[in-house]
Amino acid sequence: MAAVAVGKAAGAAYGHGESSGGSGGFLGPRVPAEVEAMARGLQEVGKETFRRLLKVTVNALEGKDCKDSVKLIAESTDLSEEQLAFLISGMYTLLREALRLPLSTFKQEVFKEDLKELRIPEDFITDFSSIVFGNRRPVSEGTALMQASRLPNVQDFKWRVDVAISTSSLARALQPSILMLMKLSDGTAHRFEVPVAKFQELRYNVALILKEMNDLEKRSILKIQD
Amino acid sequence: MAASVVPETDSIRRAVLLLNAVDPGRFPRLLSRLLQRLHLKAETSFSEEEEEKLQIAFSLEKQDLHLVLEAISFILEQAVYHNLKPASLQQQLQSIHLDQDKAEAFANAWAAGGQETIEKFRQRVLTPQKLETIGWQLNLQMSASTQAKLKSPRAVLELGVSNEDSKNLKKVFVEFSHQELFEFYNKLETIQAQLDSLT
Repeated sequence: MAAVAVGKAAGAAYGHGESSGGSGGFLGPRVPAEVEAMARGLQEVGKETFRRLLKVTVNALEGKDCKDSVKLIAESTDLSEEQLAFLISGMYTLLREALRLPLSTFKQEVFKEDLKELRIPEDFITDFSSIVFGNRRPVSEGTALMQASRLPNVQDFKWRVDVAISTSSLARALQPSILMLMKLSDGTAHRFEVPVAKFQELRYNVALILKEMNDLEKRSILKIQD
Repeated sequence: MAASVVPETDSIRRAVLLLNAVDPGRFPRLLSRLLQRLHLKAETSFSEEEEEKLQIAFSLEKQDLHLVLEAISFILEQAVYHNLKPASLQQQLQSIHLDQDKAEAFANAWAAGGQETIEKFRQRVLTPQKLETIGWQLNLQMSASTQAKLKSPRAVLELGVSNEDSKNLKKVFVEFSHQELFEFYNKLETIQAQLDSLT
């Protein structure tokens, strides 16, 4: 989607933002090939079939497995495999790009205008719109968040503080130590001991990052208008 | 300390005889060297070359040299275990018939480096993995393939965990949002409260 991102940036630079300045509007000046193919293909698709295709697309956006549903559609309509492919991928791309944009700046009227420019049939536009702006949006947004590329975060954090009274090397040790077990979102688990001095260093650094985060959030860079 | 810290076994007796015969000149240096490396687990203190030099310096056969080195290490480990005072150590050694000058050398080396060695033993951990390094980065995520216009601060913690077996540090990368980091910090504060309650 690098082309789309660059396209959007170029559009914004010319002061168009998400408005329909240039073909595609929110998709940028270079509309993805599958979206154009889909727009042409939809001219010959009936409402019933469209609704089924839309359902499959939404399921895919919400992270569900759709192989069976697609097979069913292929069997029960006279659409070729190739047609199905660009219809579904076009719809998927269109919706995914629309869902990326925050509701605060991306308005329904603009979206509908852009779809009109792509020559998508009127009643299909209404259906598309309800996916992007309706009350099922949080589900697709949630899936997007989960699928986002990020480093693993802490899923579970367990710890214990021990005091070694005696060891094989020292009759009287009386040394506190901390054992941590970190389970990360990528499935890995790490168990390690933290010497008390290192623990202080960890605590200090985490406090430092929190302070910097607070400072960052107050600074004007975050007040840049979308 | 009623019971003797160094038991009079056959090997110890033999080691004492050998120690008494050894040239006292280089003895203190040998003691300090062994004391410094005492806390390191699997490594032998001396390389092949160094051992040959020691054999010549102290005019000991290979077997005898090993016995002497082991005996010295054992004595020092016992001193660590019982946290002996230097005077106590000297007395104990003299009671198993070690010559006074050698016993004094032990006491001096122990007085000089004993506390440091004990501290190193204190820091030794039984778990194979230990946190060694902490690094971090604060990023401001502007956008992602799944979401535009984010402006979300994210911290990445890099924890360097050592493994006893390998020499390499395993780097663990963990990402936190502001809220996640705040929750993590609260847990660290709880741990700190526990540590404080120990003193």
